[in-house]
Formats: sequence, structure tokens, C-alpha cells
Amino acid sequence: MTIEPWSYDTSEDLDKTLVERLRGFPREPDLLVYSARLMAATMIRAWLRVYHRLQVTGRENLPRDGSFVLVANHCSHLDALTILSAMPLHKLHRVFPAAAQDFFFVSVPRVAIAAVVVNALPFNRQANIRQSLSLCRQLLDNPGNVLLLFPEGTRSTTGELGEFKPGIGLMLAGTRVPIVPCYLDGTYRAWPKGSCFPRPRQVRLVIGRARTYERLGRGKDSALEISRDLREAVLALACVSPASHCEPRL
Amino acid sequence: MSPSMALSSDVFRAYAGMLAGLLIAGGLLIALLRWGLHRDVSHAWQSYTSWLVMVPLVVLAIFAGRVPVIVLFSLLAVFAFKEYARATGLYRDWLMTGAVYLGILATACVSAMYDPNLHVPGWYGLFAILPAYVISAILLIPIVRNRAQGQLQAIALAILGFLYIGWMFGHLAFLANAKEAYGYLLYLIFSVEINDIAAYTFGKLFGRHPLRSNISPKKTWEGSLGALAVSMALPWALRFSFPHFTTLELILTGLIVGITGQFGDLSMSVIKRDLGVKDMGALIRGHGGILDRVDSLIYVTPLFFHMVRWFHGLY
Repeated sequence: MTIEPWSYDTSEDLDKTLVERLRGFPREPDLLVYSARLMAATMIRAWLRVYHRLQVTGRENLPRDGSFVLVANHCSHLDALTILSAMPLHKLHRVFPAAAQDFFFVSVPRVAIAAVVVNALPFNRQANIRQSLSLCRQLLDNPGNVLLLFPEGTRSTTGELGEFKPGIGLMLAGTRVPIVPCYLDGTYRAWPKGSCFPRPRQVRLVIGRARTYERLGRGKDSALEISRDLREAVLALACVSPASHCEPRL
Repeated sequence: MSPSMALSSDVFRAYAGMLAGLLIAGGLLIALLRWGLHRDVSHAWQSYTSWLVMVPLVVLAIFAGRVPVIVLFSLLAVFAFKEYARATGLYRDWLMTGAVYLGILATACVSAMYDPNLHVPGWYGLFAILPAYVISAILLIPIVRNRAQGQLQAIALAILGFLYIGWMFGHLAFLANAKEAYGYLLYLIFSVEINDIAAYTFGKLFGRHPLRSNISPKKTWEGSLGALAVSMALPWALRFSFPHFTTLELILTGLIVGITGQFGDLSMSVIKRDLGVKDMGALIRGHGGILDRVDSLIYVTPLFFHMVRWFHGLY
């Protein structure tokens, strides 16, 4: 007579190497990766506070429960790190900045930084955009997840706010998911595209009120309207930031 | 153990030379098979490139000294436990997994620190009773959670994970504190790997009768006995590793490596077969996971350690 066998919940990516696992998405929970991320986040927060004198306004606008999307202007690699630093530490592993798959998920060091430090979601911006948007939507179906998007699609080379791509509208039209507009000021001066090291310039983050686009139906027109509306919301926050040098193009 | 002691140690220099020679010979053999006999050597090449990383890594750590050896083997234990946790599903229970990681860290610290009473490297007294403290901590987790459902499985998996991968394997790191550390460590690692290779080779060449058909169908009695024969001869062939050993101790060393090395291999096969996985991970190309590489070593190390301690003491 034998006892009943146990059932084991083996990890689905057991046969994958570490780099393959970090490259994939969604990633299985990993205590060692979470610990490394927590340590990196603590150091990055200290760095931003001391070296860049980070100032965050409007933290109270972040929804307390459920999933939501953060959208912001994009001038620098500091942008995602700054927004991550404004989130509570216990939410760190639930915030997923969408990062360009063709840039951040190519070489091993970049994969390590993107997946371990930033917890990035690989976004394919050249092909399979719909698949990437569908991945984002699935992520938001899980209550408590936060998606960080830079709807310009790339870092601005001039510091000016570019046009927002309609993908975010396609994803969120007709849904109840709150979208929180954010404005980053100073990151362009601190670490612009093409510069090797960050300079000690002040960085400010303004977090706006959340909005939803439940009333809009799905379709191209709604998508364009949402991207326009969000761009205006981000621009409006630029006025709140007292020393804006981003000089948004209207 | 220190770089200067390693350089002046005949045992270390002999093993470093022997291992370098074996790696070069292995490379030449693969080249001959590939370009001379036009054989498919892709799997052998994968396996060989992994050896090219693993062997220098271990030799360098042993060359660097006591603490680097403890750090390397403790890191291996951490990542080996991670593979086990991912394979068994224990990794979803953060507190249990975290408790075992802390237990492995404690094992490493106790191995690295000096005994406060005897003033010798490695606090053996605490090392020996550490499982009692770690098991107590693991048992406390469901009480703190106020949860019983499914906890027995998590407790059992965590305790096995710590005892087998953290503590039993931790004996290898503690061995770095021994007076004859170079001979013990290098012989143990070398002979266990040779035992594995011999079992595979004899099994491949002469294997007819399955050893344990329900656990590991490819292992055969012929492979097992061939490996035992090689392991019984090795203590004499490499006697310079422990010139103070008597004949009885040489026989015991051969038996421990030759028999219990295969028990270690079969024990991991039992775990893998019950879990329904082929390998415990994919970290080492051509080998599988860390656990697939060190499974025999985990079983052998504590037995060899306590044999040495019984006959000669560590210091």
C-alpha cells in the first residue's frame, strides 16, 4: 500500500536558460530576481534624490487599487527609472514599463538591466504591434498590475514632446482601466539621447489625475482621439512643473 | 588556503596540470572526431565548452583561498536550490523559499567564520546543529501564517531542499577549512566527476542489464560496476592527494565515491522522475542544471567529510 502522490506545480520555463527566461514574458516569479530588483531600486532612488534632487508632485493621484496605466513624455533613459522611483516599493514587481524589444532585449547586459532592474515588458514596435498590445491588455486584466507606456514610441532627441502613437488608444478605448498622465521635467537636460553619463541636473515628475475612456467605442477614430487627449493632458502638466525646459511643441 | 600556499602546494599544482592536460586532450579528441573522422560532435562540443568554464572556475576559487571556495560552493548551493524550488513548485511559496535561502547563507557564514572557542577556521559545532534551527524556522512559517492547508508538502519540500542541497552540499564548502583542503577538495570533485564519466562510458560500451529500470532506465549494472572499479583504483592512483591515508581509508574513499556517488545520481533521478522532468535546469549547456552536475557530489561529500573527520580530524 502506498500513499497518494503529491501534485507538483513545476515552473513552465524550467528547460529555458536564465537569459531566455529573462527575455520572455510574462516571467515566472523569482525571489532572487526580486531581491536584486529591490536592492537596485533602493540604490536608484537614493541616486535620483541625491544626484538629481528628484521632486515628485501629485503622488496622491495614483490609484490605490486595481490595474492602471501610466503615460509620460520620453526624453531619456532616466524617465522609466524616475517614474518607478515614485511608486511604492511594495508595488515594484507589479509595475511593468514597456520597453523596445529591438533595443533592450537584444544583448545580455541590456536584457539583465531591462528584466531584472526595470521589470520591463518587451514591446515589439516594428512588427507584431498588435501582439504586444494584446500582451499589455492581458497584463492589465490582472488586478494590481501597472503598465508604464511612453506613447511617443522613442526618446525625443530635442527634448520636445512628439506625437503620441494611436496604439494606446486602440488598447484602452471602451475599457474602465484608469490612465494616469505624467510629465517628466529635467531628464532631457540630465541624460539626453546619445549622452554617455547622466549630468547632475534636477529632475521633476508631475503625476496628473487618472482618466478613463469607457465611453468611447473601439476603432481608429477613438484611438486617435485618446492619443490626442492624453498628449494634451501631459502637456497641461508641463505648466504645473515650474522650471520646464522641455518646451513642448503644440 | 591562499594563492601563495596554492602555488607552493604540490597537490594543487599536480591537479591544475592534470586538469589542464585533460581539457587539452578532450579538445584534441573532439577535433579529431570532427575533422578526422567526420563525426557529429555537437553535443560533445556543448558539454566540453561547459567544462572549459567549470573547471577553471573551481580551480581558480581553490587557488584564491578558503573564503572564495566557500563563496563559490555556497552560490552553487543557492542556484541549485533555486532549480529544485522551480522544479517542485516550492518557488511559489516565497517565505519557505526565502527561509531556505537564509539557511544556505547561514551555512556559508558558519563555514567562513572562526570557531569562537577553538579559534580555528569554520565553526563546526554550529554547522552540525544548524539544521535544527533552520527546520524550526521552516516549521514556524505556517504558524505565523495561521494556515494548515497544503503546508505539509511545502514544509517537507523546504526541509529536504535545505538538508540535501544547502547543508549536505555545504560540507564541501566547510572542507575548505581542513588542513589538507587542497587534496580533499580536488580529489573529491575530480573523482566524483570521473566516477560519473566512467559509469556513462562503461554503460555505453558494455551496458546490458538495467540497474534501476523504474528510476533511470539508461543506467546499467555494467556501467555501475565499471565506475566502481575505476573509483576503487583512483585513491591509489592519486595517493599524493592524501599521503597520510591508510589502506583502510583508501578503500573506504574508493567505496564512498564509487557506490554513494551513484546513489546521489539515482536519488536525483528519483526526484526528477517523480516530478516528470528530464533535467533540473538549463544553466550548463550540454549538462542540464547545476543539480544534474553535482547530484553525486551532494551525496558523497558528507560521507567523505565525516570519514576524514573520524580518522584524522579536520585541522
